Amino acid sequence: MLLAVLIANSEGNILVERFNGVPPEERLHWRSFLVKLGADNLRGVKNEELLVANHKSVYIVYTVLGDVSIFVVGKDEYDELALAEAIFVITAALKDVCGKPPTERLFLDKYGKICLCLDEIVWKGMLENTDKDRIKRLIRLKPPTEF
Amino acid sequence: MAQPLVKKDDDRDDEVDYSPFLGIEKGAVLQEARVFNDPQLDARRCSQVITKLLYLLNQGEIFTKTEATEVFFSVTKLFQSKDIGLRRMVYLIIKELSPSSDEVIIVTSSLMKDMNSRTDMYRANAIRVLCRIIDGTLLTQIERYLKQAIVDKNPVVASAALVSGIHLLQTTPEIVKRWSNEVQEAVQSRAALVQFHALALLHQIRQNDRLAVSKLVISLTKGTVRSPLAQCLLIRYTSEVIRESGVNTQTGDRPFYDYLEGCLRHKAEMVIFEAARAITELSNVTTRELTPAITVLQLFLSSSKPVLRFAAVRTLNKVAMTHPMAVTNCNIDMESLISDQNRSIATLAITTLLKTGNESSVDRLMKQITNFMSDIADEFKIVVVEAIRSLCLKFPLKYRSLMNFLSNILREEGGFEYKKAIVDSIVILIRDIPDAKENGLLHLCEFIEDCEFTYLSTQILHFIGNEGPKTSDPSKYIRYIYNRVILENATVRASAVSTLAKFGAMVDSLKPRIFVLLRRCLFDTDDEVRDRATLYLNTLGDGSVSETDKDVKEFLFGSLDIPLTNFEISLKNYIQNPAEEPFNINSVPREVKSQALTEKKAPGKKPTGLGAPPPPPTSAVDAYERLLSSIPEFASFGKLFKSSAPVELTEAETEYSVNVVKHIFDRHVLFQYNCTNTIPEQLLENVTVIVDASEAEEFSEVGTKLLKSLPYDTPAQTFVAFEKPEGVPTVGKFSNVLRFTVKEVDTSTGEADDDGVEDEYQLEDFEVVAADYILKVGVSNFKNAWESMGPDSERIDEYGLGPRDSLVEAVNTVINLLGMQPCEGTEVVPNNSRSHTCLLSGVYTGNVKVLVRLSFGIDGSKEVAMKLAVRSEDENVSDAIHEIVASG
Repeated sequence: MLLAVLIANSEGNILVERFNGVPPEERLHWRSFLVKLGADNLRGVKNEELLVANHKSVYIVYTVLGDVSIFVVGKDEYDELALAEAIFVITAALKDVCGKPPTERLFLDKYGKICLCLDEIVWKGMLENTDKDRIKRLIRLKPPTEF
Repeated sequence: MAQPLVKKDDDRDDEVDYSPFLGIEKGAVLQEARVFNDPQLDARRCSQVITKLLYLLNQGEIFTKTEATEVFFSVTKLFQSKDIGLRRMVYLIIKELSPSSDEVIIVTSSLMKDMNSRTDMYRANAIRVLCRIIDGTLLTQIERYLKQAIVDKNPVVASAALVSGIHLLQTTPEIVKRWSNEVQEAVQSRAALVQFHALALLHQIRQNDRLAVSKLVISLTKGTVRSPLAQCLLIRYTSEVIRESGVNTQTGDRPFYDYLEGCLRHKAEMVIFEAARAITELSNVTTRELTPAITVLQLFLSSSKPVLRFAAVRTLNKVAMTHPMAVTNCNIDMESLISDQNRSIATLAITTLLKTGNESSVDRLMKQITNFMSDIADEFKIVVVEAIRSLCLKFPLKYRSLMNFLSNILREEGGFEYKKAIVDSIVILIRDIPDAKENGLLHLCEFIEDCEFTYLSTQILHFIGNEGPKTSDPSKYIRYIYNRVILENATVRASAVSTLAKFGAMVDSLKPRIFVLLRRCLFDTDDEVRDRATLYLNTLGDGSVSETDKDVKEFLFGSLDIPLTNFEISLKNYIQNPAEEPFNINSVPREVKSQALTEKKAPGKKPTGLGAPPPPPTSAVDAYERLLSSIPEFASFGKLFKSSAPVELTEAETEYSVNVVKHIFDRHVLFQYNCTNTIPEQLLENVTVIVDASEAEEFSEVGTKLLKSLPYDTPAQTFVAFEKPEGVPTVGKFSNVLRFTVKEVDTSTGEADDDGVEDEYQLEDFEVVAADYILKVGVSNFKNAWESMGPDSERIDEYGLGPRDSLVEAVNTVINLLGMQPCEGTEVVPNNSRSHTCLLSGVYTGNVKVLVRLSFGIDGSKEVAMKLAVRSEDENVSDAIHEIVASG
């Protein structure tokens, strides 16, 4: 299960969070844990350079893209490699929607589209689409090109 | 008032201080949502409002039921619009709003229309939304369409239906299981993702049918799986099948190993890694099987991708726990990872190296770690400290450099958990390595000179009090301890006073000087410190009420023989219901909840990665020993040899719940009946068990301890003791009747009637069996232990066990009969094997070590034959084991 996708700005404010199968009372804990993880480790990290950690049997892969930091959390079959795949799709889709690594402002400008992309990528805790061109078409309700 | 999003162009991207959602308010957005009801829909505006709603939801804003319903109803109006972008947003917001079941009906007809739309993308999205919001009854209505969708030509539609299936399987499995044929077809799809999703669903549908999973794996491992993700799933399913099928004993080959090994040459890294990990996790994996997997993992160690490095080092770390030698080849690559930017990787590398390193590499490794420690977070440091502790226990000769390392990091900055981990490690090393004691104690003394954590200071003072007096020069610790009395807070001061008293009690030469120090403590500002000083001065003989030496030591060093939790509960009760008479410590129940005594391990619990290792389970024997030694009637029985697991004597949910624990002593057995009264309206008094031992002739009853009072839901125990011939594993069957006086209780006041009625309650029978006289004690190397025992005491014989269902059953029966510890995983019998050897070890009553080698064979008619070879320190014990088997 892909437990969470969380996108925060450089100050650690949450821009988007999508939890799957995480009880509401644990979400706050995860939110603050991830933000702290980012604050401790993401300074000076290059765009899209992946960092990885685990907490008990849960894996976390996270990175920076422009002004935003992106965290994905998973367990069981969603181990570090599967999460790396997921975060790769997310960053690719974000760059695609924003045209470049986004500033916070640009991210918020494209908020609606970004939500749609995330909806295509992760659905209820499962990785669904992994190709950015396909996602770009899907959010406009266009069938994929290979079809 | 509605505020349209400001139109922006790329030039203004850099104005990061300005957010399009600045000042956004739920009330205003809900007002704006009224545009959804306009007869002339403005698609662009509607999309913007939905974006704001999404932003609010993602920020954790909570919509009340009315608000959510209102928005949901308005959103459904948007189905009128033909604007594609808006429709996509509508699908998303409906999912996010997750309407309640009575509202869903409003939107189902629109969604069902979309589900049959000619536009593929409408179909896919409508499926996803519908499956998110509908329940079982609606699902049967659309099941037909979903089945079609699974085999749809458009991969997006097929994937949508398959992923929906995976989720629906959780809520309505009976319906989804009917889609098996379609899913099977989708597994063969040319579209990679469809194949991935179909495989996941098919496996979930069939996961309880081993044969079907096995067939699935067989067919797919032969065919081509396009998607790397699907390939990874297949590898996992294959490992499952391998786990359940075991090694082919004739050829020694493992089924599907070739497939896994082939995957190591796949072009996708994730597949290679998955296969490597699967191989390392095979049960009883051989070095030959491991080598290719280790080789690819070694390559990953120097990958430019941090995730791959992490994955590889994490896997190797696990392998190092069981096969340290297999990982040594990677040591050089691993050493370079100590300086890895990613601290998780560096920590894993260090801890792996600590496991695989040999004695000669310890010093070099410690040097590298010292540099590394300064720039990692506490949680990683704790992992390293724990690894160093195990290393030190492995190479006790290296204690000096490892202890120095620990004491150095103890002086550096760090949080409580980290310091605690270091202190715990030093304490364990002092206990296990006698040479390290004095050195270690001094390190601890220096630490408390400048320790900011009260908890740690008191823990160390307590420890110094126990260990310090036994060292060659106890006087050198006094200065450190007395400094605490001068410089610290009250809690630490009180603790230091106790420690001083321990030195006074143990070291006569120090006693006069300790008295001087304790007398000074009489002027302390804190009550507790003064009280303790007064108490100790008197008990140690300075005052008027001096005690005997033995009593003093018992008082100072003896452990509190009541469980702390019970003590706490009793004290709380006492405070809540104040009474005239003072609190009596003897009123605290000494019964330890049986849950804590039976070591229950969660099956299949995975190791927790970087997390701290679980605390060692409370030793059941220790807890029982403490309990029994507190009962004077049984104090003369000597040392407790073994306590059995509780045997239930009543069925679940009966009026009274009783189980028995059999305690075995040299010449006695003691039955501890744990009783619970489950009726609130009753109070039981003078509870005892009447035991009929007519089928246990060699036992004679020597005493009982009755239970005075058994109130509702408060477990307590009664005991019956029997004498038996010394050192003989006497067996027998015991019948039991619970006898008591029952009194009615008024539940509103909690008061019991004065008059009671005598009553009895029949309990189940139980037996004392041979296994009760054998302790499960493992040996680390069976072969060495066997050879060191020598052939003189060996007794060999053959037995026919008659027809059995399988070899597994026969092996388990004999293990249970003997109650010994299986060694080296030999209790696991590979499937379909015709013969098996099982190694057992244990300690027989009278503390005699005994080893057993069992060789089983099964023939075509399922007749099982067994050869039993026993070696022990006493040949009579070897004979006794044979007798047990012969009579079992």
